Amino acid sequence: MKYFDEVKRAMEFLGQQPDTFFLGQCVGCPGNVMYKTVVDVPAEKRLELPVFEEVQLGMSTGLALEGLVPVTIFPRFNFLLLAVNQLVNHLDKIPEITKGGWRPKVIIRTMIGSIRPLHPGVQHCGDFTEAFQQLGMKNVEVVRLDEAEQIFPAYEHAYKRSDGKSTVLVEWGDYYNEK
Amino acid sequence: MTKEELIQFEDEVAEIYLAGKIRAPIHLSDGNEDQLIEIFKQVKPEDWVFSTHRSHYHALLHGIDREWLKQKILDGDSITINNPEHHFFASAIMGGSLPIALGVAYALKRKSSSQHVWMFVGDMCAEMGVYHEVVKYAERNDLPITFVVEDNGMSVSTPTQPTWGPPERKSKVMQYVYEKHKPHVGIGKWVTF
Repeated sequence: MKYFDEVKRAMEFLGQQPDTFFLGQCVGCPGNVMYKTVVDVPAEKRLELPVFEEVQLGMSTGLALEGLVPVTIFPRFNFLLLAVNQLVNHLDKIPEITKGGWRPKVIIRTMIGSIRPLHPGVQHCGDFTEAFQQLGMKNVEVVRLDEAEQIFPAYEHAYKRSDGKSTVLVEWGDYYNEK
Repeated sequence: MTKEELIQFEDEVAEIYLAGKIRAPIHLSDGNEDQLIEIFKQVKPEDWVFSTHRSHYHALLHGIDREWLKQKILDGDSITINNPEHHFFASAIMGGSLPIALGVAYALKRKSSSQHVWMFVGDMCAEMGVYHEVVKYAERNDLPITFVVEDNGMSVSTPTQPTWGPPERKSKVMQYVYEKHKPHVGIGKWVTF
């Protein structure tokens, strides 16, 4: 069981679901290894976006309010930091400010940038998993995918979960080649 | 709902607030009844309305029951009035609703819905970067959304335009166009270490 293969299998599973929709950078255009994991998802279910991380995550929430399950992709955890307002103040709080009237479910994919064999610099390899887990979010779960065995069940649960929560899934870039 | 009824509602909320019965902030509207009544003639009951911390008029004009709204205000929720049944969303974070409204509009277009999105923002919000990103994307992709800027010249107690500096703009931008042949990163070949 290989790490990359499991991520790709999970994406293909999500791609087969009638209500999923993929968006972000390297979703419709090559440029990052994450593209290779979604390349077999039907093209009409993938939307390449400009670089506007906060808008991307808010847009994902809006898609979820209209009944879709967005799979929104941020190729580096450092880039997801730019969307924290939408994550903490909106996606996580909407169930509270609507007294459960809306429970948008979003699947957020991000990656700790690979540091082997090339080190991308300190702005591209951050791991903020524990910091995110301590943001007091009640409706967003943050999961780091350390082992290949975790991957498919974690994405399947993120899609099928019935508690209305969203999930941030953190992948390791290095493990695409190493595990 | 008439202008008089809108004013009466806010006056009633003010009286309740004065009596110490609302233990949360309220943001009352006034002076924009005529403009809003005119705009809401175009808003269909099934349309989405995205509002702000100051949302009482928007909610009433979108058909939300005044007694339901009054109870929400009494409950301390004036700053985030949300009603899924009426597709009414409000956030108390400046500019926070904009990307969400964009996503709803994208979804509506994708399923060829006849619904429309109405996004209300204040004049300071309309100067934020997120506003310009969202408006550009909506316009270039012809999404079913209308942005309404409610301009009273103020953001809380900060005058919007003076804080941005004098209105005359002196261009500080240079741009050049070029064609690139090397890849984004690396050299386009595998390297062995």
